[in-house]
Amino acid sequence: MILRRLAPAVQPLLSVVGAFVIAGVVVWACGGSPLEALTALVQGSCGSSTGLLRTLSKATPLLLSGLAVAVALRAGLFNIGAEGQLILGALAAAWAGHAFTGLPAWIHIPVCLAAGVFVGALWAAIPGALRAWRGSHEVIVTIMLNYLAIQLAHFLVNGAMKDPVSMAPATSMVEPSARLWAAADGSNFSAGFGLAVLAAVGVAVLLRHTALGFEIRAVGLGADAARVAGVNVGRTMISAMAISGGLAGLAGAIEVLGVHRRYLDAFSPGYGFDSIAVALLGGGGALGVTLSSLLFGGLSAGATHMEAWTHVPRQIAGIVQGVVIFSAGARYLKGRRR
Amino acid sequence: MRADTPPAVHMRNITKRYPGGVVANIEISLTVLPGTAHAVVGENGAGKSTLMGVLYGSVLPDAGSIEIGGAPVLLRRPADAIRHGIGLVTQHTTMIPALTALDNVLLGFEPIRLGTLDRQAGRRRVEELSAQAGIEVDWSASAVSLSVAALQKAEIVKALYRGARVLILDEPTATLAPAEADRLFAVVQGIVASGASVLFITHKLREVLEHSDHVTILRGGANTGDRVTSETSADELVSLMLGPDRSAIRPAEGPREGPRQAEVALQVNGLTVRGRGGRPAVHYADLSVRAGEVLGVAGVDGSGQRELAEAIIGLRPAISGSVTLCGDDVTGRSVAFRAAAGLAYVPEDRHREGLILDFDLSENLLLGRHRDASAGGGRFLQRRRVLADAERLLTEAGVASAGPAALASSLSGGNQQKVVVARALARQPRALVAMQPTRGLDVGASAAVYDAIRARTAAGMGVLLFSLDLDELREVSDRIAVMYNGRIAGVMDRDEAGVDRLGKLMTEGRT
Repeated sequence: MILRRLAPAVQPLLSVVGAFVIAGVVVWACGGSPLEALTALVQGSCGSSTGLLRTLSKATPLLLSGLAVAVALRAGLFNIGAEGQLILGALAAAWAGHAFTGLPAWIHIPVCLAAGVFVGALWAAIPGALRAWRGSHEVIVTIMLNYLAIQLAHFLVNGAMKDPVSMAPATSMVEPSARLWAAADGSNFSAGFGLAVLAAVGVAVLLRHTALGFEIRAVGLGADAARVAGVNVGRTMISAMAISGGLAGLAGAIEVLGVHRRYLDAFSPGYGFDSIAVALLGGGGALGVTLSSLLFGGLSAGATHMEAWTHVPRQIAGIVQGVVIFSAGARYLKGRRR
Repeated sequence: MRADTPPAVHMRNITKRYPGGVVANIEISLTVLPGTAHAVVGENGAGKSTLMGVLYGSVLPDAGSIEIGGAPVLLRRPADAIRHGIGLVTQHTTMIPALTALDNVLLGFEPIRLGTLDRQAGRRRVEELSAQAGIEVDWSASAVSLSVAALQKAEIVKALYRGARVLILDEPTATLAPAEADRLFAVVQGIVASGASVLFITHKLREVLEHSDHVTILRGGANTGDRVTSETSADELVSLMLGPDRSAIRPAEGPREGPRQAEVALQVNGLTVRGRGGRPAVHYADLSVRAGEVLGVAGVDGSGQRELAEAIIGLRPAISGSVTLCGDDVTGRSVAFRAAAGLAYVPEDRHREGLILDFDLSENLLLGRHRDASAGGGRFLQRRRVLADAERLLTEAGVASAGPAALASSLSGGNQQKVVVARALARQPRALVAMQPTRGLDVGASAAVYDAIRARTAAGMGVLLFSLDLDELREVSDRIAVMYNGRIAGVMDRDEAGVDRLGKLMTEGRT
C-alpha cells in the first residue's frame, strides 16, 4: 500500500537525480569540481537560515503559479497563460495597495490580495470561456493573452499608472498597511510563503474533497462520461481556469506586497513559465507541486551562491532545470497518449 | 477438403499470458482449411480476440507456432501478417473519414506510376475485386458519408486489395440489420468460393450454423472443440461455450406477466433532433413508455437512435417537440435536472461515455450523484459515505472487483457494464434510457444486466431500450418500436413482432 502510494514519486525523483548527474558531468567536462559545485549549491539553498529563507521566498511564486497550472491540468486544460495572469494580478494588487489609503492592514492586505486574485481569475476565464463555448484551444489563447498582459502592463506602468516621482517604469509604492511582513535579512522571505502553503492545502482539499474538484477531475479524465453523467463540462472548464488564474494572480499580488512593494515593469523572470515545469514535475497534485517548487526555488537560491564561491556559472542550475523539464514533459506526453 | 492441400492457417499450441497473470490463450490449436468459412465462438474473455490478434501479428504469443499454407511463419507485427495474406476487418472502422473510400483502400499500398499515385489503376483493381466478391460501394464517396455496412464492405475490399487469402472478421454483424447481415454472408460465400478462407468471430449461434463450414469453440482461453458445422447443433455449441454446468444462465425467456400500469413514465411528443452536419436525424418522434414496461427500439444502426436517446436525456437540444417525465415537462432542461427528476441513462459506449477509466469505482459510482447528499456527495464530499455507498452498490450488483478503490480500467467488460448500470439505477429512477446495454457482453453478464433492470422495472420504472439485436429485443421488451430513417416507423406488441415484420420495417420503413 505504501509502495503503491510512493510509486508516482519514483520517476520524478529519478529525473531530478539524473539531471544533477548530467549537470555534474558538464561541470567536470569544463574543468570544475562537480562535488564542490553541488556542495556550494546545497550550502546556498539550505546551508544557512538566510539561504533557507531565500529558497522559500523563491519558491513562493513558483508554488502558487505551479498550483495554478496544476488545477487547470487536472481539468484537462493546459494553462500556458500563468505568466500573464500573474502580471495582471500583480498590477491589480499594486494599484489597490496605493489607491486605498487609511485602511487598517487586516483589511487592506486582503483587499489587495483579492484584487490580484480577481483580475487573474478574470484574465484566465477568457480562454476558459472561449474553450467552453467556441472550442478555441486554450493553449493558443493563453499564449496570446500573455503577450497582451505583458504589453498592457508595460503600457500602464509607463503611462497612466506610473509613479510620477520616480524614474523607473513602476507604480507608486504600496501603503505600509498593504505590505506583507517580510524578513529583514535580505532573503526576501515574506508571509507570502505561508499564504502559498495555505493555498496548496486549499487546492488539495478542493481536488480531493469537494464536488467542484470532483467535477474538475472528471472533466480532465473523461469529459464525455462527465457530460453524459450531467456535469456541465463548459462551466467546469471555466471554473477551473478561473481558479487557476486566481492562483497565478495571487502569486503576482504576493510578489508585489511581500517583495517589491510596488509593481515594477518586467519584475517576473518568467515565474509563470517555470510554473509549467513545476506543475508537470509535481504531477498535478498539491503536495507534488509544493515539493517541486521547493526544488526549483532551492536551485535558484543556491545557484547564486555557487557562482560566488566556486566560479561555476549559475547557468549550470539552468541545466538541471532544463533536464527536469524535459523528462517531466515526456512523462506528461506519454500519459496523454494513453 | 482435399487431404493433400496444406491448411490455409495452422496455429499450434498458442499460449498467451498477459501481465498480471491473466491467461488469455492456453495451448490453443486452430486449423483453417482453404476455401472455407470458419467460425470462432466463445463468451467474452474466452480468448477469441487474443487468438485473432496472434494471427494478425498484433499480439505476440508466449508459446506456439503458426503455419500459413504449410510454411512456418513468424508474425511479429501486422505488416508481417498482411504480407503473408492475412486480412483483418475489425468491429470499428479504421477508415480515415475525410478520404474517399477508394483512397482509404489504396492507402499504404498505392499503385505508383511515374512517381505519382495512379488512382485509375487502383480503381480498376478495387472494382475488379469488389465485383468478384459481390460488393457494391460508392468508391468516390468520402468514408464519413458511408453507412456502417458500406464501410465494412470497403474494409473487406481493402483486405482483399492487400492480397488477403485469409480474412478475419471480428463480430462482423454486431452493428448490422438482419438483411445487411445476410448480404454480408453472401459476400463471405463469394470469397470462400474464390478459394480464400474467412475466419469470423461471433456470439450468434445462428450465424455459425447457417454460414460456416467449420467451427472452433473457445472457453476460458482453451479450445473446447472443433466441429464440422453440419455435424453439430446449437445445444452442443452452447454447452461447449458455457461448460456443462453453466448452460442454465440464459436470460429468462417466455412470457413475462405483471400488470402493466396505466401511468406513463416517459413521454416523447413530436421530437425533432438535429444530427451530425445539422440535418435532422430524428423527425417528429412520438413514444410513450408506461411505468413498469420495457419499450424496445429496433432499427438499423444510424437510424437516429443515438440522437433520439441523447435528446431525451438532454445531451442534445431538440428543435421541436417535448419530453415529459411522469407528467413533468423536462424539455430544454439540463442533463443533471432530468437525472435528478428520475431519468437515468445507460450510454452505448461504456469506455468513453459510461465510465472514467482512470477513476476508481467509488468515483465512477459517484459521478452524476456527486451533488447528492444520500450518495455522500454535496459541496464537500463525505468520503466515508461515498465508499460505503460504493461498497453496497458493488455487492448488490455482483461486480467482481478488488473493491471501491480499484480503477475502472482494471475490470472486465461485463463488470464495467454492471457498474454503469448500478450507477444508473442507484437513484431509483422512474425511467431508464438504455443504449445497447449488453453490447459485447457474454451471456452471463447480459443476464445480470437485465436482472438488475428488471428488478427496477418491477417497481414501476419504465425502460426505453435501444438495441440492434432483434433476438434480445424480442426477449426482454413488452412492446417494440422500430426506427427507420429518423422516424418511428411502427410500434407493436412483442407477440406481433416477428423477425420478418421487424426486418421489413427496419429496412424499408413499412410492412
